[in-house]
Amino acid sequence: MPPDVEITEAELVERFPYVRMDHDTKHLYRGWLARELRLNRCRDCGFWHHPPKPVCPRCWSSAVEPTPVSGRGSVHLLTWLHQGPPAPDVDYAAGPHPVASVELAEQAGLRFTTTVVDCPRERLEIGLAVELHWIERFGAPFPVFRPAEG
Amino acid sequence: MARNPIKDQVAIVGVGSTGFRRDAGGRSSASLACEASIAAIRDAGLGADDIDGITVAAEPGSPNPPRLASMLGIQRVSHFASAQPVAGFGLVDAMNAVFSGSCEAVLLCFAVMRSPWNSRSAARDPFRRTVGAGVRPVPELVQGAAGYASWASRYIHEYGARREDFGYVAINSRTGAVGNPLAAIRTPIDMQDYLDARMIREPLSMLDMDLPVDGADAFVLTTAERARELRPDPVLIHAASVGLVDRNDEDQLLDLSRHGQHVVIEQLKAKSDLWLSDVDVYLPYDGFTIITLNWIENAGWCEPGGAGRFLESHWDAAGNRVLIDGRVPMNPHGGSLSEGATRASGHIREAVVQLRGTAGERQVPDASVALVTAGGFFFNSQGAIFRRG
Repeated sequence: MPPDVEITEAELVERFPYVRMDHDTKHLYRGWLARELRLNRCRDCGFWHHPPKPVCPRCWSSAVEPTPVSGRGSVHLLTWLHQGPPAPDVDYAAGPHPVASVELAEQAGLRFTTTVVDCPRERLEIGLAVELHWIERFGAPFPVFRPAEG
Repeated sequence: MARNPIKDQVAIVGVGSTGFRRDAGGRSSASLACEASIAAIRDAGLGADDIDGITVAAEPGSPNPPRLASMLGIQRVSHFASAQPVAGFGLVDAMNAVFSGSCEAVLLCFAVMRSPWNSRSAARDPFRRTVGAGVRPVPELVQGAAGYASWASRYIHEYGARREDFGYVAINSRTGAVGNPLAAIRTPIDMQDYLDARMIREPLSMLDMDLPVDGADAFVLTTAERARELRPDPVLIHAASVGLVDRNDEDQLLDLSRHGQHVVIEQLKAKSDLWLSDVDVYLPYDGFTIITLNWIENAGWCEPGGAGRFLESHWDAAGNRVLIDGRVPMNPHGGSLSEGATRASGHIREAVVQLRGTAGERQVPDASVALVTAGGFFFNSQGAIFRRG
């Protein structure tokens, strides 16, 4: 695991101006700076959940711990934005922008939503096996998926 | 039967609406709220001094209850509340307030306005730019509209649904709006228009999503007993419920077989003496066409995945609309897709107007029971059964 970038919480908020961050979600974004997708997992019962909550919704333990995921999963939900919020790496004029909710290998129903890159439109559909990948957005790492190798 | 002591005990006795327009032009949400509220109170045969409860939907830009009391000179208020949007939350709050004795007569107000994020013309209005301002989102959020588009693609994936299945919902709503002077868009459409519509969040297009509008609806609720003194045609709330499940983040919902709509339907069926065979007017939410398809299935009109075929087989080709069993129209006022994005206050208003028998050319003969199933899947599912008093 690469060491976390040593920055203050104020600096962390500044690195992600497009995020409404709080004490329950800040760990997720510290993980991004280390290019690691860390989702909350309960130390007591092992249950994963996302987005981050202050307690485990299954056993009510407070021992929820940001834990790196394998990054393997499959596309569960998919929409193509023909227009939408701007981002420096998104050009709607060049074609619709895919937004996918990826069901992660760790647990049924555990999903992370982002875009999928390096994938021709005709290949991107519900069920496609994908893996985690990182791009830069607004000067900070941003997690995306791409088709799984092999 | 589930406990339902409020059954038929609270009535809607006043209705007022500004109508809904793409651009109400130089008017504030407060101005629209006042117009609808005054019309509703007068319609009930009441005045400001008779109103002692105020419930307002917390829509962006809408006046809150204290401001409404101040603007309308309502001098003594013993219950007031801001309700989450989609109208059933306000309805349930208001009826509970009357039934509990917190107040005698509630003004229930819903004022919507186009926001800079959903309307280019609103974005040019300097007085609207600060409404709802906050963190600028990134494209990759499956929330709100994108949540429905994402689950629409899942619905297509699981059931092999056709685009035409969604199209019937859009065409039906537009046909309703043609006959409704309050509606924002009143030009009829056909299936080709639907299929040709511009994609926004694929698989959903311009014609799959409701229309940002300016306007307001208001209602007055009081006890059934008082209602009978006030007017000959009160509309009784027979059963109403909201519904929620735990996995209600849009992208974390486990699947389409278990969400808020299912809780609502379970509640209504358990609380009501009336069900689908008794219904004369069906008013399912159509903020997005996928929501309507799911409501039709979850209410039990047909099996999961069968809504498109259901609409096709109950299609009244001559009327360019749905007529269930040749008898029950669906959203005859035009729904959120075409009357405008009232967030279901329009659906409740149409229930009241139909049960009063004052719907004009779209009146359902002798309508006595209306079913409203409002809201989406995640955090605003709700429903109500209304009956003629």
